[in-house]
Amino acid sequence: MRRWWHRAPIRVRLTVWYSAALTVLLIVYASATYVAVRHEFHERLEEEAHIETSGAALNPEQRIEQQLDEILVVLALGLPLIVGLAGIAGYMLARRALRPIDHLAADARRITADRLHERLSIANKHDEIGRLAAVINDAFGRLESSFEQLRRFTADASHELRTPLAVIRGTGELGLAETRTPAEYKEAMGSMLEEVDRLTRLVDTLLQLSRGDAGTVRLSPEVVNLGDLAREVGGSLSVLADERRQRVHITAQPDAVVRADRLVLRDAITNVLDNAIKYGPAGTVIDVRVETGPGVAVLAVTDEGPRIPEEHRSRIFDRFYRVDEGRSRETGGTGLGLAIAKWAVEANGGQIAYESNGAGSTFRISLPRGTGAAEESRS
Amino acid sequence: MVRVLIVEDERKLAQVLSSALAAEHFDVVVAATGEDGFYRANAELFDLVVLDLMLPGRSGLEILQTLRQRRIETPVLILTARDGVDDRVLGLDLGADDYLVKPFALPELLARIRALLRRGRPSDVFRLKAGDLELDLVTRRVVRADRLIDLTAREFELLEYLLRQQGHLVSREMLARDVWKEPRRATPLDNVIDVQIARLRRKVDTEGAARLIHTVRGVGFVVREGEP
Repeated sequence: MRRWWHRAPIRVRLTVWYSAALTVLLIVYASATYVAVRHEFHERLEEEAHIETSGAALNPEQRIEQQLDEILVVLALGLPLIVGLAGIAGYMLARRALRPIDHLAADARRITADRLHERLSIANKHDEIGRLAAVINDAFGRLESSFEQLRRFTADASHELRTPLAVIRGTGELGLAETRTPAEYKEAMGSMLEEVDRLTRLVDTLLQLSRGDAGTVRLSPEVVNLGDLAREVGGSLSVLADERRQRVHITAQPDAVVRADRLVLRDAITNVLDNAIKYGPAGTVIDVRVETGPGVAVLAVTDEGPRIPEEHRSRIFDRFYRVDEGRSRETGGTGLGLAIAKWAVEANGGQIAYESNGAGSTFRISLPRGTGAAEESRS
Repeated sequence: MVRVLIVEDERKLAQVLSSALAAEHFDVVVAATGEDGFYRANAELFDLVVLDLMLPGRSGLEILQTLRQRRIETPVLILTARDGVDDRVLGLDLGADDYLVKPFALPELLARIRALLRRGRPSDVFRLKAGDLELDLVTRRVVRADRLIDLTAREFELLEYLLRQQGHLVSREMLARDVWKEPRRATPLDNVIDVQIARLRRKVDTEGAARLIHTVRGVGFVVREGEP
């Protein structure tokens, strides 16, 4: 019974409480009325007995009127009293039922950007307020993780921007410290320019991502054959694979057609394939497979490189996230390739995922299939 | 002599631009404010105007608009820091001939300026030469010192582009856009370009021959006889 009571939603508890209070009050009211009426009747009986003995008389009609008046007074006085009492009881019950909201408000006021790890305390997780608090806690949880991501991103971004700046500054200072040969000056300036180039690319990429976040990138969707696009990207990156004696093997179902912004989607595929070429060991095959499923077209890029450890998988699409710090910096990546790929795929209504079955790594891009013919005839 | 007006309020940038253009033997005039630029562009004759869009006082777009309204058809290349499409489109709509987004590479600016100055003149070149290297645009044959060089389509385009800009620096950005037709920078194309250049060089600058394709560290590449 107690258990049921605790699990009951507030509306049920309020109803039960209030019904109980009202029952008690009505019983009191009814009893009082009953007692009053009973008293009147007894009085009348006594009076009648008295009249019979004395003979003096009010007529019966007048007497009934008089008694009804008295009952009316009892009713008229009792009703507002009972209504008043019922009101007070209702108020107290409502206050008691809603007290958790005040606690909730106080808790919520305590939680600020610096204390996002705190949560609202939940007195009863089964009632409406408990459920509300749970929902708000969930929202705080999501907020906390976005905040954390943002904080990490800001720290990473400033680190990535500072590194080239430090190189430029150091090279400049060193160059001016002593008189050097023209060749050495050229070398120093070249090195500075390389870093400027790196900075520029970084800023451009960040700008593109932040535009993506703000939703200000205007996409121009068209009908794209995923296989053709894969072959195009494969062609442009084939020299890189060649250098590593790798072979990019593309198999495509001809009907894998999607509706997407071609350039944006190409960015995604380029980044994923570039990634596979970088991490696939020399002399291996990189397998690009374009297939269709119910309602989707899938492009999967598989390399024979080392698998990404489980603990890193959830974050590989994060900006600047690197599984192996040293290795990726060496290969000259910005650390934004997969973040761009993720954005580019999602902007086109698709999904990108990493999976590993046995040997190697697979990045799988799935996009909703565009009904090629219909779309084309419309445009 | 080609006269170029630079309207740019950032002193350092104006200085760099003016030295770079002077090194190309242009006669350079610098205007540091919108008013001055507007006055000069109206009063004097120039072959080209390099116009910064964000100027104190009179904005670049205003200057451009007024110039075109007065039927002054000097080619105008606009510089903009904002890489938003609207700004560019507005500039081009108002009659600018080309644009560059800051920060830009100097070789790129020079190439654009050369292209604007060349505009209107027919290019009847069928054969490009550098030293003993010859590239025939019609037969698509490349010969160096009487030896036929077998190039892939991409290598041919790359060499053609470098030869057209002969003696001038070419940045990776220019190659990405003009040879690879890749409008975005956010793609890992730089490695591809480096590899492609290395391969082209292996075929063109064989052992014993003088080097023609030079890498200028931090800037890009240049085809030139002798030292870069």
